[in-house]
Amino acid sequence: MNAGLAFLAAGIAVLGAALAAGLGIGRLASAALEGTARQPEASGDIRTTMIIAAALIEGVAIIGEVVALVMIFTAPA
Amino acid sequence: MFLTRPRHSHVTVRSTFAARWIALFALMLGITVPAFAAGDGADGDPDAVGHSADGFYLDFNPVAKVELPRIFLTREDGGGFGFDVYGSTTAAVKSGNYQMVSGAGEVLTPEQSAYVVKEEKTYYYPLQASSGEIVLDLSFTRQMVFMLIAALVLLIVGLRLASRYQKHGRETAPKGKWQNFMEVMVTFVRDEIAKPAIGDKADRFLPYLLTAFFFILLGNLFGLLPWGVTATSGIAITAALAGFTFVFTQLAGTKDYWAHIFNPPGIPTFVKVILVPVEILGLLTKPLALAFRLFGNMVSGHLVIVSLLGLIFIFGARMGDLVGYGVAPIALVLTVAIYMLKIAVSFIQAYVFTMLSAVFIGLASEEHEHHHDEHHDHAHGELNGARNGVRNGTHSGDGVRAGREAEAIVAQA
Repeated sequence: MNAGLAFLAAGIAVLGAALAAGLGIGRLASAALEGTARQPEASGDIRTTMIIAAALIEGVAIIGEVVALVMIFTAPA
Repeated sequence: MFLTRPRHSHVTVRSTFAARWIALFALMLGITVPAFAAGDGADGDPDAVGHSADGFYLDFNPVAKVELPRIFLTREDGGGFGFDVYGSTTAAVKSGNYQMVSGAGEVLTPEQSAYVVKEEKTYYYPLQASSGEIVLDLSFTRQMVFMLIAALVLLIVGLRLASRYQKHGRETAPKGKWQNFMEVMVTFVRDEIAKPAIGDKADRFLPYLLTAFFFILLGNLFGLLPWGVTATSGIAITAALAGFTFVFTQLAGTKDYWAHIFNPPGIPTFVKVILVPVEILGLLTKPLALAFRLFGNMVSGHLVIVSLLGLIFIFGARMGDLVGYGVAPIALVLTVAIYMLKIAVSFIQAYVFTMLSAVFIGLASEEHEHHHDEHHDHAHGELNGARNGVRNGTHSGDGVRAGREAEAIVAQA
């Protein structure tokens, strides 16, 4: 019972983290595309900044994943 | 390549092209199937987590499984230290000095352990010293072996490349496929990662950034080879890499950098009480996120591949063999797609790690030329200048720097 709840909680944790990170990276990519379309000569700088920001947003999702892993592996049998 | 042979008709060219794709597809199926079999758990069932976890063996399924040497530093009951080296886990168990422990934490009985030795599954069980205790387990693991292979390949390639440049000078054109390829990668790291992020001091940190980039790239790509293990899917290895970045960031730190952490300028004292601990926390979360990002990305790719292939067996067991065969093509196509994605992710994650390392080092080594109490009009003039810098910036480093300045000024204005 406890292990089942832990697995459920892990799933919910990943759901929230992945959903939020997906929305965030989606918005980021759309803004970067718009910026590149308006100013193609700045595309290199925009790409660099976008990747840094994407990595930071992704970091949040990864923290969610780690929390889920901790929940799974420390769940009482 | 086939474009250089004009005597071929169009039909032949197209058929060679198709043949190449089919060959590539077949190769990838060949790669993914042994990778799947590698993950059998202790009871012989396919196990997604076990496949991506570390272990004391190298899997050459279906040819053989090779056990890795076990090295222990032990403390004996009398208080003295001992140092044991065994060729394999089985040898350690057979010697009688070490016992296997089950998942429930109980020592296996002699009958059970004899059975496990006969079935050649000893490396799935944690070991415990028969007398005394294990202080340090220095055994080789499969991730460690592949980490060493990556380091060795990097060393050989790097030294050969360096000696070639020493002999012929840096001005001559690169010769051959490999030198051209490596020169492209090295100049990419220098001009697209190090220089925009760090600026003038980039050359000082370039050796570390190049080493990190190529080591991570090799570690990621070795995991995609048949029987390969992803060294970077071990948290210990990614944490060590992030630790190096942390050390280099602190070494690069200027007086301004430390002042902004421990004594932020222009901030009232009661806010400092809150801000300084947050800044110190921010100092430590950077390498933490760096380590978990690489680890998470590499592990998740493997988990997805094994889970997709596992669908075949889940459907086969629940709904009959026929459904299993029906699901197989879909699962395999999805697996190949994820495999392609993993090739891209290998490069992207090496790039992201190096990029973020460079950005952290760049932020620490930056010297603040202008202060926070600048006049408004002056800020506007500088904003326009910075915008022009972005627009006209032929040198990408200037562009990023100007862009960053523009943002800072906008935030102030």
